[in-house]
Amino acid sequence: MKKKRLTSKRAADNVLTYTVLLIMAAVFLFPCLWLILASFSKTGSLYDFKGFFPRAFSFQTFIDLFTDDVNGLYPYKTWFFNTLYVAVCSSVLGTILVLLTAYVMSRFRFKGRDTLKKTTLVLGMFPGFMGMTAVYIIMTQLGLINKLESLIFFYAATTPVNYMVQKGYFDSIPNTIFEAARLDGATNLEVFTKITLPLSKPMVVYTMLTQFAWPWSDVLLPKLLLKDRNMWTVAVGLFNLPDTHFARFAAGSVFIAIPIVILYFCLVKNIVNGLTAGAVKG
Amino acid sequence: MREKIKKSGAERRRTPWQVKLSMAVMGLGQLCYGQIVKGLLFLLTFAGTLFYFITRGFRDFVGFFTLGTTEENLWMGIPGDNSLTMLILGLFSIFILILFLVLHIANIKDAVYTARQKEKGIPAHTFRQSLQTAADAKFHTTALTIPVVGVAIFSILPIVFMILIAFTDLGGDVVYPKLAHWSLSPWKKILSLGKIGSTFLKILQWNVVWAVTSTLLNFILGLGMALLLSKRNVRGSKFWRAFPILAYAIPGFISMVGFKFMFSQSGPINYYMDRAGLMRIFFLTNDASAKWWARGIGLFVNAWITTPSIMLMTTGILSNINTDLYEAASLDGATPFQQFKKITLPFVVFSTTPVLITQFVGNFNNFGIFFFLRNGVISNYGNYFLASDTDLLINWLYKLSVDNNYYSIGAAISLIIFLITAAVSLTVYVRSAAYKQEDTYQ
Repeated sequence: MKKKRLTSKRAADNVLTYTVLLIMAAVFLFPCLWLILASFSKTGSLYDFKGFFPRAFSFQTFIDLFTDDVNGLYPYKTWFFNTLYVAVCSSVLGTILVLLTAYVMSRFRFKGRDTLKKTTLVLGMFPGFMGMTAVYIIMTQLGLINKLESLIFFYAATTPVNYMVQKGYFDSIPNTIFEAARLDGATNLEVFTKITLPLSKPMVVYTMLTQFAWPWSDVLLPKLLLKDRNMWTVAVGLFNLPDTHFARFAAGSVFIAIPIVILYFCLVKNIVNGLTAGAVKG
Repeated sequence: MREKIKKSGAERRRTPWQVKLSMAVMGLGQLCYGQIVKGLLFLLTFAGTLFYFITRGFRDFVGFFTLGTTEENLWMGIPGDNSLTMLILGLFSIFILILFLVLHIANIKDAVYTARQKEKGIPAHTFRQSLQTAADAKFHTTALTIPVVGVAIFSILPIVFMILIAFTDLGGDVVYPKLAHWSLSPWKKILSLGKIGSTFLKILQWNVVWAVTSTLLNFILGLGMALLLSKRNVRGSKFWRAFPILAYAIPGFISMVGFKFMFSQSGPINYYMDRAGLMRIFFLTNDASAKWWARGIGLFVNAWITTPSIMLMTTGILSNINTDLYEAASLDGATPFQQFKKITLPFVVFSTTPVLITQFVGNFNNFGIFFFLRNGVISNYGNYFLASDTDLLINWLYKLSVDNNYYSIGAAISLIIFLITAAVSLTVYVRSAAYKQEDTYQ
């Protein structure tokens, strides 16, 4: 009798669990599916949709995306390579800088370390783009307005402020490894390049990935610094597409989202590690 | 002890002429010690700084205090001073001055070091040796130089600039070619009961409500999802987990703009409302009726974007719980709910307090949501000053300072935002064990 009640209870639990899971999956999947469908719509304007579904399907939008820039209004191909350039450069530079900072802050005790730590803490509390006006003027003075390098410099130069996640990771590597290497006569630079970096591959990957993904979704800074349509990044370009070019927006989004999504899925373990390291250490 | 003092005093009196040279002109001492490359590098820096200050640095430095003296005169063809640019260039010259002083002290220290070595009979470092020191004993200084300079120029300089601007009357009517002055007028405008002051209060109220609700909502949903996926009867949890990760991986602005299209007047949601014979709803448009719709949609979209990361984070933390605790609890006859309340929740809350705080601060300053959902709406009711009813302080700040050139008021608001976030996060940082005992793990 008791056993029967237990199984029926368990069955109810199962039904409930899977219902919630299905709802969750639907909530997360549906908007993505909608965008993907929209990218295959034939007419392209949001006004020509039958609810969530396009009236007719075609692959044309994806071809148009790269071949037809509507009289120079939407040069997606240029935007794409602009963003790729910025993303690769700032990811490499930014990762080097932030890893160096995190490593030094984790392994060395020196005069001024506490000041640096407190300064970065305070810097993190200012609203992100508070100094945008100033950045704009600085870039004007440096002659970098309308140049992609301005973005690279800014992204790379400001990453070391957020070194805490990486520092948390370096903290967790036992000190004895470093001491042994030092005893063997390795310089600090060698310890960093030959021991720390290989040991921290997951963290390096995580850092590079987050750095790489950022330029694809930042709209604010490029919008401010890049005035020429041909200099825009994908994010600014897509942001400026009107309702009537909805399919173009969808196709452009799908095209950049797919590689990023695949990367995330391949590296999900690294990301979880990075997130939890950041969480526990704050 | 006394002898030691005497000895160091004697050393000081015997300052070699090379060190004195280095004190006067950077790098000369090093050159005289035969350290050619290093000396030339120092000398080059010295010449560069000198050149900068003679050609423009000094003028910029003075301009920082005056904020411009000549107003533009079209009749006479005088271009006039631009207070905004002068303020930042003046600040820049001060930064250069500080950097120069730091380098100069380093140069003197270096010369003194070489002098000491010489006294002991050790030859001066060759350039190769210096490079080796930079890579080893001085590794921390070498490694931090570029990050510190970069952050100083692109992060600290702009922030200091904004703080200073909050104490001028720049912006609004006072933009180029008009000259600005140091003043407290922005603060008076915000704290008075005028249009700006009342807008500020309204936005602040909504901002606090938003930050608290969205943080709690996201945390509860994220934790719930993590717990759901770690339930024993869930098969293929990897498969189910893929859906939130999909949402997490899509660049944020795509999701936000996508949702804007979805809820727009001709979007799919309204299409079905129409088909069902209902009235179309102005979800995100500039209309008084849209206020709570837009706020609700904002909460939903923010949850859609953020909960996956919280889920991933709490999954990681949950896996660290000692499973013995649960066994012991179930032996003692604790129900699953009691186990959750007494074991899981305290553990998760304890280890995610820093996350909760960063989430709170992040949501308090969540610029993206309403920037993308309601692109540039300025409410035409309720007496808002250049803001919409969904705007957070940070959105208002953007509309004021970037869209409409109200620099000083925008700067004052960013200072207020800073004070709020700093107060919240400092109290927690100081209390958090992770910050206090960072060395215990090593």
